[in-house]
Amino acid sequence: MSVLEVRDLTVDFAQRNGPKFRAVDHVSFELQAGQTLALVGESGSGKSTVARSLARLLTPTDGTILLNGAAAGRRGRRLRAYRRDVQMVFQDPFASLNPAFSVDHHLRRPLVIAGHRRAGLDEAVAALLRSVNLGPAGTVAKKYPHELSGGQRQRVAIARALGPDPAVLLADEPVSMLDVSIRLEILNLLDALKRDRQLALLYITHDLATARHFSTHIMVMYRGEIVEHGPADEVILRPAHPYTQLLSSAVPAPATSRRELTDRRRARQQAGRAEHNAERSEAVADTGCRFRRRCPAAMPVCSEHPPDFPAGPAHTARCWLRDPERAKEPA
Amino acid sequence: MTVAGQQVGAVSPATRDDIVLRAEHVSVEYAGASPVRAVRDVSLELRRGEILGIAGESGCGKSTLAYALTRLLRPPAELTQGTIEFHGKDGNVVDLMALDPVALRRFRWTKVSMVFQSAMNALNPVASLRTQFADIFRAHVPEMNEDAREQRSRELLEMVGIDPGRLRGYPHELSGGMRQRVIIAMALALQPEIVVMDEPTTALDVVVQRDILDEIEQLREELGFSIIFITHDLSLLLELSDRLAVMYAGEIVEYGPSVQMGTAPAHPYTAGLLHSFPELLGERQSLHGVPGSPPDLRQPIRGCAFTPRCGYAFEPCSDRHPVLGPPAPGLGIGEPGQPHDSPSRWQVACHLHNPDLRPAGLPAALTSGLAGPGPVSPEPDPVSGEPDAPGKESA
Repeated sequence: MSVLEVRDLTVDFAQRNGPKFRAVDHVSFELQAGQTLALVGESGSGKSTVARSLARLLTPTDGTILLNGAAAGRRGRRLRAYRRDVQMVFQDPFASLNPAFSVDHHLRRPLVIAGHRRAGLDEAVAALLRSVNLGPAGTVAKKYPHELSGGQRQRVAIARALGPDPAVLLADEPVSMLDVSIRLEILNLLDALKRDRQLALLYITHDLATARHFSTHIMVMYRGEIVEHGPADEVILRPAHPYTQLLSSAVPAPATSRRELTDRRRARQQAGRAEHNAERSEAVADTGCRFRRRCPAAMPVCSEHPPDFPAGPAHTARCWLRDPERAKEPA
Repeated sequence: MTVAGQQVGAVSPATRDDIVLRAEHVSVEYAGASPVRAVRDVSLELRRGEILGIAGESGCGKSTLAYALTRLLRPPAELTQGTIEFHGKDGNVVDLMALDPVALRRFRWTKVSMVFQSAMNALNPVASLRTQFADIFRAHVPEMNEDAREQRSRELLEMVGIDPGRLRGYPHELSGGMRQRVIIAMALALQPEIVVMDEPTTALDVVVQRDILDEIEQLREELGFSIIFITHDLSLLLELSDRLAVMYAGEIVEYGPSVQMGTAPAHPYTAGLLHSFPELLGERQSLHGVPGSPPDLRQPIRGCAFTPRCGYAFEPCSDRHPVLGPPAPGLGIGEPGQPHDSPSRWQVACHLHNPDLRPAGLPAALTSGLAGPGPVSPEPDPVSGEPDAPGKESA
C-alpha cells in the first residue's frame, strides 16, 4: 500500500540575478509501507531538496503530496499532523543534535510535542533507546552528544525521529559522515526498524552499493529530474540511463590488476575531460536532455526533452536510447 | 604533458628500495591528566613514487601519524619517541627531528606538502585564489617576481583541470571538487617529493571523487612524487595505493602490498574492514561491518587491542601483545609455498599467524573479521564507559 504519494513535486529557488532556479522538476514517486526506496545522484542533483520538501522544511512550489491518500496539510494543525507522520534523519549527527542538551531531552521533546502523556515518558524514552540498540538506557539518556561516538549519535537521531511513531522516515545520507566500519550497523538498524515498524523509508545516498543492498527500488536523480527508476537489482545490474552507467563506473573497483586500473583510468580521462569541462562551464540548457553534454551516447534527438521509456519490468529510463520507435530503425 | 604508457613502470614501485621517507618507532601522545597514546611504536617506509595508503577507523591514529611525519604536531600532541628521516632526490638525508624552526619552515611545502580533509576550511574565504597562490611563492621563493608567480599559478590551475581565469575568484565560487583541486594544485606548487593527503575525497560524491583520484594518479605519474594517502575507505585504497598500512588503536596491524591484502587479508581487522561495504555488483548478502568501537587510548592496552571485537580471538590474544611478522602460509597468503613478493614485505601483527600459538581447525582464509568461532550477535551498543570504550567482553 502506498503510504506517501508524490506527484509532480517542483521546487524553485529565487536567484538574486536571473531567473528562478528549478532544483526539483516534476518528480513523482510513491513510498510503500515496509519498503525502502533509494534516491541516488551526485551533489547538487536535488536529492536533499526532495527530502526537505517532503519533510516540509521548505514549501514546494508545485505538486501534490498525499499521505495515506489525503493531501498533506499546508499549515496549522494539519501541517503539524503531517510532520508527525513524516520524520527525517539528517546527514551529520554532529550537527543535528544540540550540544547543550542531553540525549534524554532530545528524545523527550518530540514525544511531548506529539502529545505523549506525562506519565510513562521515562519508559517511552527508554523504549526508544532500546529500539536503536543503545543501552543501558539509564546511562545513555544522561549523556550529552559530545560524549557519544558518531554512530551512537546517529542512533540517537534515529530514535528521535521514531519518537512520534511516524509512517514515513526520510533518511538523508544517514551514514555518509560515519566511519565505513559502522555504516553497515546503522543501515542494518534502519532496515530492521523499517521491517518491524512497517515504515516507508526513503534512503537518500550517493553510494550505489548500499542503495542496491538496502532498498527494493532505486531512483536516479540528475539535475532535478528522475532519470531512471526501477527495482534495485535491475537499475544497478542493467542500468538503462547513461548517467546511471557513469555513476556505477565511478565506484572504486578493487581486486583488479594495477595495469588494468591504469588503462581504465586513462580511457576515462581521455573520454571524459573535454566534454566534462565544457558542460560545467555552460549554463544549463532548459530544453532537451540535461545530461546530453556529458553523455557519451548523445544524438541529435537529445535536444528534445525525453519522456520516460520502459527499460524492463517496472523499470523506466528518461533517455532516447530507450525509445521503442528508435529500436525499430536500423542502426 | 603526456606520458607514454610504457614509462609508468619507471616511477612506480619498481624502484623498491629507493626510500624517500623512513619513520622508525614513532610514538605520539596527547598530554593530559591521562595521556592519550594515539600512535604507538609505528615504523614505516615510503618509497619514491609510490602511493602508501593508511587505513583505519576514526580514532586509530591515522591523522596523528600523518601530522607526526610532517612535524605538524602541536601541543598537547607530542612525539615521545622515534626518528623520521627524509631522503631527498639529491641524496641528502634530513633528520626531521633535528630541524630547527627556520629549517623546518624551509623544508615544509618544498619537500613535503599536505592536502587536508576539509577543502572548505583549508582555503581562506576572504582572499582570492591569486593571493593565496602568491602567498606560497612569497613565503618560499621570495626571489620570484610577480609575473613569474602569475605564470606559475596559472600553470598549476591548468594542471588540475581548472580554468586559469578562476585565479581572481574566491573559494566560495568553486564547488567542493574544484576547491579540492585547488588545494592539490597548491600542494604541488613547489614540486614537493612527498604529498600527505588526509581524507582528500571524503566529503565529495562518487563522480567527483573519481575525477580527483584520476587527477592525483595522473599527476603522480607525470611528476613522480610519493603520496601518503589516509582514508577510512579501504575500498578506495585497494584501488589507488601500491602498498597499504592498516592501523588499529595507534598501531600498524597489517602492512603490505594492496592487491594481495585486498584479496587475502591476513589480519581479522583488515578482513572486517573489507567486509564493511557491499560490493556494487556482487551477490546480495548480509554484512555487518566491524561492530563495537576502537579502544580508549588513555588506558593501557593488554594483549592485542582488537581482541574484544575479534571473532577469531583465542587464548593468548587478551594478554600477549602480537608484533608484526610475516603472515603464515595458507592463511591470508593463499596456497602454502606459493611464491609471492618476498614475505618480509608483508607483515601482520596477529597471533593467528604464529604457528606456536595458533589453534587447530581455523578456516583457510579470513572471510570476515567476525567469522570463525561464534559470530558476534548484535548486542546493544555499550555507551556505559568512555566515549570510545571498547565493546567489552561481548565477543
